[in-house]
Amino acid sequence: MTNTKNAVITGASRGLGLALARGLAYEGWSVVVDARDGGALRSAAAGLPPATTVALPGDITDPAHRASLVRAADDLGGPDLLINNAGTLGASPLPALADYPIGQLRAAFEVNVLAPLELTQLVLPALRRRGGAVLSVTSDAAIEAHTGWGGYGAAKAALEQASNVLAAEENLVRVWWVDPGDLRTRMHQQAYPGQDISDRPSAETVVPAFLKLIRERLPSGRYRAAELMPPVAVS
Amino acid sequence: MTLAAALDPGPGTDPRVALDFVLPAELEAHEPPEARGTARDGVALMVSRGLTGQISHHAFAGLPALLLPGDLLVVNNSATLPAAVPLPTGLAVHFSTPLPDGDWLVELRATAGPATAAHRGGSAGQRLQLPAGAALTLRGRFSGRLWRARLSTAVLPYLLRHGEPIRYSYVRRPWPIGSYQTAFGTRPGSAEMPSASRPFTPQVITALVARGITVAPLTLHTGVSSLEDDEDPYPEPYDVPPATARLVNLTRRHGGRVIAVGTTVVRALETAARAAASPRVAASAGWAGHVVTRESPLLAVDGLITGLHEPRSSHLRMLAAFVGLDLLSRCYGAALDHGYLWHEFGDLHLLLP
Repeated sequence: MTNTKNAVITGASRGLGLALARGLAYEGWSVVVDARDGGALRSAAAGLPPATTVALPGDITDPAHRASLVRAADDLGGPDLLINNAGTLGASPLPALADYPIGQLRAAFEVNVLAPLELTQLVLPALRRRGGAVLSVTSDAAIEAHTGWGGYGAAKAALEQASNVLAAEENLVRVWWVDPGDLRTRMHQQAYPGQDISDRPSAETVVPAFLKLIRERLPSGRYRAAELMPPVAVS
Repeated sequence: MTLAAALDPGPGTDPRVALDFVLPAELEAHEPPEARGTARDGVALMVSRGLTGQISHHAFAGLPALLLPGDLLVVNNSATLPAAVPLPTGLAVHFSTPLPDGDWLVELRATAGPATAAHRGGSAGQRLQLPAGAALTLRGRFSGRLWRARLSTAVLPYLLRHGEPIRYSYVRRPWPIGSYQTAFGTRPGSAEMPSASRPFTPQVITALVARGITVAPLTLHTGVSSLEDDEDPYPEPYDVPPATARLVNLTRRHGGRVIAVGTTVVRALETAARAAASPRVAASAGWAGHVVTRESPLLAVDGLITGLHEPRSSHLRMLAAFVGLDLLSRCYGAALDHGYLWHEFGDLHLLLP
């Protein structure tokens, strides 16, 4: 009997998604990763163990691509974990809601809310069977009124509430939505074009928090990565 | 009735039946102990010890003194759903167990006087109208009395709004869902109460902790218990979290005893002990399908706190795995003799090595 577990991680060519893929791979997980940018995904996957990594370039709003992610996980034995990490900031620089181009907002909801939900629907039967989990990456923009973050925040709020209800409906599956905090990622840079964000921590720093959540199978709910971080050892 | 007449282990009969006897109606607990003027922890506790063959009789509140510091009690934190939905047509639907594809195993019951009785009707494809506009489609038979069915809305939130506790005819009137919850029940999902936990009060739990006895949770959502005679249990969703698996393995490595509170806990731990290659409990989740009998060694559990079980039930085969058939027969003889009460509101039995 094998103890290998299989995760599907969206948006894993850089930033938090790639850091999570590395962290899980290091713990012995097989990972199915995707990203829209095939070149970036190829170089990212080159840093992951080849025998246990499946990299599929594609856009999560494409139904055929979603189906291929699930098929790949099934080929590994079935998904135990879905990490809905892929997301879009929407319009950049961040416009006020008064001026928000609604077409771009609609597209942001497709990527940040509807595609993750549809992917979740596809893997739910396997997750129920295997006692698996869905982890969606969210943001404090979902619950705070940060000016300029109205479009992104509204979409993340929708993702959070979808997760909240899913947790109430699915008692065989863990449903987590996690705010990683501000990180030094490309998305964060897009929010603040031209600004220096090098004071933000790198994505790698919050990976232990996610691994603790997954390893200990903590109860369904909303978490902030900061509160899950292991205490700094004092010797 | 004499004990000899009531107790008939019947050697040479069906090997699937561990113990057969006649349960007198006056030994069925008809209502919660609180309604009989007793506290939750005021029920009786019979103790049987497999090594010495001793049987002794106690009050449940004396449990802490019967265990040793370093023992680990593993409890089921599954909370009881109001899993019965009565229909205006004289039927009731009992929601038992979820399946991975979103179907549920359900039992159709006929309303019979103040309670319900087995119902043989129903046909594949049949659509039942449930209260508040929900519809239940029977997809096909799963077993003699269980159907595979699909509800038109999410089952858990629906039951929490529109369901009532499952009740069989020996409980003569309805009791609120709180009567069916245990101190440990935090994850809704069981069709019937994991009743061995029911007598645990904050006072008893505090006394256990003060004595150095550890308590760790797992989850097993138990389905309907109205099995036919000697029917095997079907797989039920379980979840042994990593922290609990660690405590179980640590306790046994250091010579402590792992005591399961309820047969559900035995099933979950024995399934989890078979999920890893090494002989220890692995953190795992899925469907607990392992059936414990005298023929399958116990890998993870040393003792068991449980209620008194019905004649011929598969639970008695599990109990025989703990103390052997001879001692088990003597226990049930003593329980009948001493007037112990059966079923979910009844008395308890601690089986120790």
